[in-house]
Amino acid sequence: MASVTLDAVTFRYPGSRGETLEALSLLVPDQSTHALLGASGAGKTTVLNLLSGSLRPSSGRILLDGSDVSNLPSAQRNVTQVFQFPVLYPAMTVRENLQFPLRNRGWKRADAAARATEMARELDIEPLLESGLRVLTLFERQLVAIGRALVRPDVGLVLLDEPLTAVQPELKWQLRKALRKVQTDLGVTMIYVTHDQTEALTFAAEVSVMQGGRILQTGSPIDVHDKPSHDYVGFFIGSPGMNFLDIEVRQGRATLAGGPLLSTHAADGDYRIGFRAEWATLGTTGLPIQITGFRADGLIDDVPVGVVTAQSGSTRLHVRHRGDLPGTGVCLQVNKYLLFKEGRRVE
Amino acid sequence: MLELEALRLAEGARPIGHQFAEHAISVVLGANRSGKTLLCRCLAGLAQPMAGRMLLDGQDIGHLDVRSRPVAIVNQAFVNYPAWTVTDNIASPLIARGVSKTRRRHRVDDIAAKLGLEPFLRRFPHELSGGQQQRVAIGRALAKDARILVLDEPLVNLDYKLREALRDELRALLSQEDLTVIYTTTDPADAFSLGSEVLLFAEHSVLQSGSPIEVYRRPVSITAAALMSEPTVNRLDRPSCAWAIRPEHVRLERPVSDAAETFRLQVEEVETNGGHTFLHGNVDRQSWVVKLPGMVQLTIGATLPVYVRQQDIMSFESV
Repeated sequence: MASVTLDAVTFRYPGSRGETLEALSLLVPDQSTHALLGASGAGKTTVLNLLSGSLRPSSGRILLDGSDVSNLPSAQRNVTQVFQFPVLYPAMTVRENLQFPLRNRGWKRADAAARATEMARELDIEPLLESGLRVLTLFERQLVAIGRALVRPDVGLVLLDEPLTAVQPELKWQLRKALRKVQTDLGVTMIYVTHDQTEALTFAAEVSVMQGGRILQTGSPIDVHDKPSHDYVGFFIGSPGMNFLDIEVRQGRATLAGGPLLSTHAADGDYRIGFRAEWATLGTTGLPIQITGFRADGLIDDVPVGVVTAQSGSTRLHVRHRGDLPGTGVCLQVNKYLLFKEGRRVE
Repeated sequence: MLELEALRLAEGARPIGHQFAEHAISVVLGANRSGKTLLCRCLAGLAQPMAGRMLLDGQDIGHLDVRSRPVAIVNQAFVNYPAWTVTDNIASPLIARGVSKTRRRHRVDDIAAKLGLEPFLRRFPHELSGGQQQRVAIGRALAKDARILVLDEPLVNLDYKLREALRDELRALLSQEDLTVIYTTTDPADAFSLGSEVLLFAEHSVLQSGSPIEVYRRPVSITAAALMSEPTVNRLDRPSCAWAIRPEHVRLERPVSDAAETFRLQVEEVETNGGHTFLHGNVDRQSWVVKLPGMVQLTIGATLPVYVRQQDIMSFESV
């Protein structure tokens, strides 16, 4: 059992000028999956280190199940971690690795063995229990590392730091599936850190997008994809990221260089419109663009399907396209868009 | 033109014969440990092939030492001179060649402009992001004014978003240079977005080569089909052959105008990344993945009919 609350948590590394984390607030409900997504340096790992207890906040509070653990050492928190690469004892068998955290805490051999078997069954690695680590694949070793992290029955919160990095691409979903199964069966809370949006969106019920030590948006995968709160979220989520164009709104008309384009209820002013590659089409009317490339990612019904790259002035745009490329005089039609002002989405 | 003539990379490996497209990017696509890096190292003169020749315009370059080979190499680690500024890092091959200071400055400015490094010229590598550091390494390779540029998984250590942006830029950038580019990767998307041609690499040899779309359309084997597919192809054993079907060719609705095969998919997991939804499951006890556009809601555990157009089924001899 562990709900997680970050209450205005600020963190500054000793000697550094700016804050690494700025008044960060977040609520992760008990027994849920949450992903922290962002580029290197966004502050994701700092959040993990604060939760695990290897760092203390400069100000603000960290609550686990409602009680303040901000200044509690790691050993007194019911928190465990899974890393990029399986951290295990190479000279021990799978069973010995699984038992280790329990034996360390004074569990009797028979009890520890029983619990290890239980974990192995949960992760579908029971036949490997008496094997040495050397014969295991990286995938199996990562399962053992997960088992070892979760073997203590008092664990309520599991922190995962890019746990799929080392695993072959075609096995990643199986590891995600194993993680979600363990999460549901054992009723733990999982916080998953990654820079890979596919991993974040496919793993977690809720995603927080981080930038520069702040959380920009927390929402379901569909929300952060379709309704980004900031232009950065729109850019960071989705492959390709969201397109943006400067636009001027005058009396309910959004004008793009070239002529009236869209009608809107927004107040007069300068904005940016954001639209996904799937929300626009190539045509003969609309915004004149120059096509610079077409990356087909396959053939559907024998027709190439992929992403067209184009330029409008100095702005690079991506448009999902199907079929052959139109010739000259190509224009962009935006079929759906969001409006942003000073980096934030406006309704 | 760069040509490999009966080049044997390892004991027992099939010799490679290939003429690389000139002034174009050739993407070498293969799994880890398939010998891609060894090929790069042989081209650059950092390793010796077991047998065969590497010819540039008919001249054997295999005997030239690393420095005099017209080959520049960038690998996945961001290798720069840590104590030198960005300017000096890019200029280093020019300094080694004794190019005059004025001409050096022109060339460095030109390269920095192409790579978007102008604001960072006075900085040191450790003051740059990973993406910027890798740009500096590419800039130094360009300054070598080599005929051949070898990029060995140059984006693999970068953040996802940086990788996407740099891949977009690389194509435009490299097409301006008078270069034959060899680019290795494990990601089929790189082949589609960068490559004029793709060479599928397995067991230290070339399995198939051609334009990305041709290799996608007509793979020579299941291994070739799988290499050029992300996620990998779905397989099905038939009495006298093996079928491979790409995840994007499996659909939930029966095609209207084409004859189709029907399979029963037991859905084990549904995952989405916003743009696409992936169904993971089983058909005849074989693991399958279905890639659908957009977000699709489905019940896990359900068994449902899925359809594949007959012309989308790739049939191979059983192994």
